Amino acid sequence: MQDDTTKASSQVLVILRHGPHGSSWLREGLDAALVAAAFGREVTLLFYGEGVTALVEGQGAGPLGQKGTQPTLEMLAMYDIETLLVDQQALDERGLAASDLLLPVTPLAPSQLAATLAEHELVLNF
Amino acid sequence: MILHTLNRSPTESRVYRQALAAMGPDDRLLLIEDGVQGALPSLVRHFGDVSGRVFALREDLEARGLAGRCDATVLVVDADGFVTLTEEADKTVSWF
Amino acid sequence: MASAEIYRYLELQERQVPLDPEGFLIHLDDWSPEVAEALAAEEARTLTEEHWEVIEVLRDFYARYEASPAMRPLVKAVGQALGPEKGKSLHLMRLFPDSPAKVGARLAGLPKPANCL
Repeated sequence: MQDDTTKASSQVLVILRHGPHGSSWLREGLDAALVAAAFGREVTLLFYGEGVTALVEGQGAGPLGQKGTQPTLEMLAMYDIETLLVDQQALDERGLAASDLLLPVTPLAPSQLAATLAEHELVLNF
Repeated sequence: MILHTLNRSPTESRVYRQALAAMGPDDRLLLIEDGVQGALPSLVRHFGDVSGRVFALREDLEARGLAGRCDATVLVVDADGFVTLTEEADKTVSWF
Repeated sequence: MASAEIYRYLELQERQVPLDPEGFLIHLDDWSPEVAEALAAEEARTLTEEHWEVIEVLRDFYARYEASPAMRPLVKAVGQALGPEKGKSLHLMRLFPDSPAKVGARLAGLPKPANCL
């Protein structure tokens, strides 16, 4: 039990609420997640609302040559960021399924959101 | 208990819905900056689900001339009250 | 990305390679094994076969993910490519003393890692 508590208390939840290209929020959120992981924190990502579009397969660089986020998403595993939660309702609203996404994810029902926030020691919202 | 802060008006941004959906049964919501618009009697219905747990920052209300126009269900706090809310919470999550 | 500020030049046989104040390449395309040798020689480091295989891992990492790895992912990438015996921070510290992620990235011609430890 003590071990579980210690583990949970080092966990960081990074909420990503923006898709690629429209703003720098997605990239900043991913950067924050990578920094936390590089410093040994256990990081969970939650793709929430519009953020679920960050995971859509087939995305690339922006029309003005903006760097795409796919390589960064694929790099997450190298930082041991393995828990990717996605807002199931946001997927449904967009007609997307988990199989349309470029990484394996864990769908999260609306009723699980509050508990997810509560169980992480630190929540960073992007 | 988590303290959620919201700095956007419910008429301008749907982010308040994301905040509400992520709130637990004991969590509190503090309206700051443009978020205090949501404390107006005509808009406070957006926060009906968390009524009694909605706070608004006095300084931001005053700066917008809204201090006397708040709905009676909204708990008005000043900067010190904000600090107290933060201390009482396990953590703070900001919605913007 | 690499800094745009040219601080000095690395002198090679037939060309000069611009470097930033920390010795990272201004133009990543300037890299060649010869550049790595010259950068290492400046710091009195000699590159052995074990150095080269890590440099290759670093360059593969960048080609794949468009970013230089911090220490933890570098250890993981080396472990995946070269086996668990080499995927240890001790091994990397021995090869690239001080800061393996930073020193390794510089020799491999990558940008400075964003969050190097």
